[in-house]
Amino acid sequence: MTGDFLSGNLYIYLYISLFLLCCGILGILYRKTLIGMLISMELIMNGAGLNFVAFNRFTAPDNAYGMVFTLFIMGIAAAEAAIALGIIILIFRKFKHIEGGAIKEMKG
Amino acid sequence: MNFGEFVFIILMLVTMIGALTTVLSGSIIYAMLGLVTTMFGIAGLYVYLNAPFLAMMQILIYVGAITILIAFAIMLVGPLYQKPKEWTTITKFVLALMVSLFSFLMLFKVIMRTPWAGGKAKAFRITTTDIGRMLFDKLALPFELISLLIVVSIIGAVMLALFSKGEK
Repeated sequence: MTGDFLSGNLYIYLYISLFLLCCGILGILYRKTLIGMLISMELIMNGAGLNFVAFNRFTAPDNAYGMVFTLFIMGIAAAEAAIALGIIILIFRKFKHIEGGAIKEMKG
Repeated sequence: MNFGEFVFIILMLVTMIGALTTVLSGSIIYAMLGLVTTMFGIAGLYVYLNAPFLAMMQILIYVGAITILIAFAIMLVGPLYQKPKEWTTITKFVLALMVSLFSFLMLFKVIMRTPWAGGKAKAFRITTTDIGRMLFDKLALPFELISLLIVVSIIGAVMLALFSKGEK
């Protein structure tokens, strides 16, 4: 047996990213606060990035498209987090809480 | 088992335990710390995937930028003792767990049954130079569009902070 039985296997990375995706789905569905939902969404994005890099490493080792798209995912995640946290702080100013289920109106 | 495999298993466990902490912890600040743990684990997995540049970017952007942003937002939305408890009703938790487990089992079966093209590791020679060359050569337009998106999001965040009417 060679030394890279685990780390040289595509399925291990796919299962880890699947685990991250399911944790993110669980968090988005049951978290009460909006910030908790945002954190869970970051988990899902990281799972997607790990998937991109793993497929680039194992099924298309001649180019670097997967890595570059993981960089794009990081940039989009940063922009999304900035906007979402700004909106969350505005919601806190208006409603004095950040519970996702208790926000009934989103006007003005 | 050699040393590399041992470190890999530890990184896997760090990632999974961090993700579970992120989702299941009752306090939002512990959830953020779990997110930091997960990010470090994923950065280590990127090193094992021959992408050290991505590992450094992961630590810089996620651990350095996004987590600090989330920490500031947690601090700005009121004191900790006024925050609602993260635990919702048990019915909602069980339903969310059912949805999550269902998607897990379904995608697990999909991954098991699909014959992926490269199950074994081949030689991989992509370096940071290739990533930079690809960013400015083939993928120059998406790169510029990402910078445009980030500028728009910065301007949007400033506008949200400055001209909101919700403040009393």
